[in-house]
Amino acid sequence: MAHDTFNSLLMGYLDGELTELERQRVEEHLDLCPQCSAELVAFRRLKEMTQPMRLAIPDDRHWEEYWSHVYNRLERRIGWILFSVGIILLASYGVYQMLAHLLLDEGISILMRASIIALVVGFCTLLVSVVRERLHLAKTDKYRRIKR
Amino acid sequence: MILSEEGSFIERSQRGDREAFEFIVKKYMKPAYYIALSYVGREDDALDLSQDAFVNAFRHIKRFDASRNFFPWFYSILKNLCMNHLTRRRRRREESLDGMAEDGTQVAIPIESSNPERETVSRDLREKIGQALVRLKPRDRQIIVLQHLQDMSYREIADLLGIPIGTVMSRLYTARQALRRELELMGIRY
Repeated sequence: MAHDTFNSLLMGYLDGELTELERQRVEEHLDLCPQCSAELVAFRRLKEMTQPMRLAIPDDRHWEEYWSHVYNRLERRIGWILFSVGIILLASYGVYQMLAHLLLDEGISILMRASIIALVVGFCTLLVSVVRERLHLAKTDKYRRIKR
Repeated sequence: MILSEEGSFIERSQRGDREAFEFIVKKYMKPAYYIALSYVGREDDALDLSQDAFVNAFRHIKRFDASRNFFPWFYSILKNLCMNHLTRRRRRREESLDGMAEDGTQVAIPIESSNPERETVSRDLREKIGQALVRLKPRDRQIIVLQHLQDMSYREIADLLGIPIGTVMSRLYTARQALRRELELMGIRY
């Protein structure tokens, strides 16, 4: 029997998870292979050592409150999404109103209006450019995992 | 199509029924916690991450096919969250001067005696095993936690992780070999 196949079956043998036929095949191999027999002994000792141990689990209180924590997070996430959408809409509307007011106000000189338009267009261009560059780098930069 | 009991709860969850999703959460919260703990090693983080995974699962549950088993799909969400958490933790550790965990403590998988009334295993040995487990690769650690420390059968592990029983056996072999190496390096005789 190939050792790779045997290694897996050895685990099943150790844990009592094999069929009768598989168990016989393993025992036949073990009779002929002292190296595998020695491995089995070592694995058995490891299993015996961890047998009286178990994963520490949180007390009952944590399980009783588990669902309410999940529920609160679900609710908060929806709250945050609505809050963020509201802020974005309000900010956009505010900027639009401000620009409309400034640009339509005849008391403001043409130079001032042109400056405001240039400022807003320039800011938007820079923002789009930086965001596009960041997105591109995040996908393609081969040194992105190296810490500066 | 006739759905299983779980499938019908999933379908109700897909229509936004949170009570139905509560059934799913309560059914899988403990395995989710064990798996998260086997990845990240800390109880608080494991609770947090497993709860976040359920929140993400609920957000995307409409994409899920209700006729399939929920846990393998959920497991992929949980695994991604845990791996991202580990990456962030590793980065913080790299940035700290002493190379220790960010709070300066040595992380160890929390292990207790299976019979708390009779302390059959010393606290020192349990802590050392917990530390050895943390040094394993997440995939190795996970299978050891489920088989050795949760006493799950191969069928239960295969169903939980959505892998064949043959893969459970081969992963166990690799993981046990790795654990033996770690214990030898730590000078633990068994």
